[in-house]
Amino acid sequence: MERTRLRRQVALTRQSLFDQGFLDEQFIQLEDLQDDANPNFVEEVVTLYYRDSARLITNIEKALEKNSLDFNKLDGFMHQFKGSSSSIGAKKVKAECTLFREYCRAGNGEGLPHLSVQGLNGFAWIHTSCRCTRTFQQIKKEYATLKRKLEAYFQVVRQAGPAETACWPK
Amino acid sequence: MLGMWKSNAPDEFVCIKFDMEISEGSSLSDVASSTTNSSGRRQNSAEVKEGQSFSMCKRLVQMMQGNIWISLSPLGFAQGMTLVLRFQIHPSYGRAVFSPGTSSEQPNSNPQFRGLHVILADDDHVNRMVTKKLLEKLGCEVTAVSSGSECLSALSSAENSFILVVLDLQMPEMDGFEVATRIRKFRSRNWPLIVAVTASAEDNVWERCLRMGMNGVIRKPVLLQGMADELQRVLQRAREQF
Repeated sequence: MERTRLRRQVALTRQSLFDQGFLDEQFIQLEDLQDDANPNFVEEVVTLYYRDSARLITNIEKALEKNSLDFNKLDGFMHQFKGSSSSIGAKKVKAECTLFREYCRAGNGEGLPHLSVQGLNGFAWIHTSCRCTRTFQQIKKEYATLKRKLEAYFQVVRQAGPAETACWPK
Repeated sequence: MLGMWKSNAPDEFVCIKFDMEISEGSSLSDVASSTTNSSGRRQNSAEVKEGQSFSMCKRLVQMMQGNIWISLSPLGFAQGMTLVLRFQIHPSYGRAVFSPGTSSEQPNSNPQFRGLHVILADDDHVNRMVTKKLLEKLGCEVTAVSSGSECLSALSSAENSFILVVLDLQMPEMDGFEVATRIRKFRSRNWPLIVAVTASAEDNVWERCLRMGMNGVIRKPVLLQGMADELQRVLQRAREQF
């Protein structure tokens, strides 16, 4: 039956997202919250995430373009972005965000012991800025990849029709 | 003797009458002094002197729109006291909090959370949507706001029904600590209950929250079971204090 085939495809696609490390348990939490009252809850949350975080991405980009980086501000934006990303279970995105925040803290003289404020000469500062920028490129890449994969996933979900989403194996 | 009747008052009220018997040597003897009182207070047999604590009780009861009076024996001694209190009948969801109920339509929701009116404050749209759904899954009625100031105005306009505030600590304009401080300043120490949500893994966050007058803390990521457990703990403590 076509239905069965589609459902199997949904299950396999879903499993691969976990196996390849794109999603973590938080995504399952979203699935647990989906019910008859909100049958498309997961997709709605993910859509909201991508819509909302686009603004944050722009803010971070602008902040990174400045000649002198405001690490505090960057860390603030990233804290928000990481929070949202965690909520949907975006595992790889979240990991890159954590790295970015480490570099921000280094830029502020905190965190990494070998980059103290005194030791933060011009070279070290540039080094940190580069790391931030490069890490951010990585974040954007993971962010976009996840978006593509989730869009494909939700498409198959829709094709498979209203499924008994509650019965995903845990 | 406990009696209950519906008065002429509109349907929203119920009156409960407590009839108490005062026997000699009982602890209610400070209600009125009698001639056997060794402090030797003189009294008119037709009159009963009210003790200071009784006056205070009377005042409180009257403020609660009730009444309290002493009934006298033929000899002028206090033989009984009657207390009438008027209670406003709240819609049943208010009572569900304090009494164990039977299970509801939603298989996941704990009966003690059913009808619990929660104000959720979180500036992040995604988090707000997820946490709101989580609380609704537990059976709560949720009002979601996106800032500390919105939270305070929602509280001030809400009826005095049972309320719990779930508060994200890291909000940009007014952080959770400040919101909690303001809530505690203008309302009682224990009402509404406040539960903080934080991403911080620091040990002293819990202490700091307690000092600010909060009742519970949940660490992010917020999970269904974690929220249920903490809400249960917080409600249990609140029940004990009543």
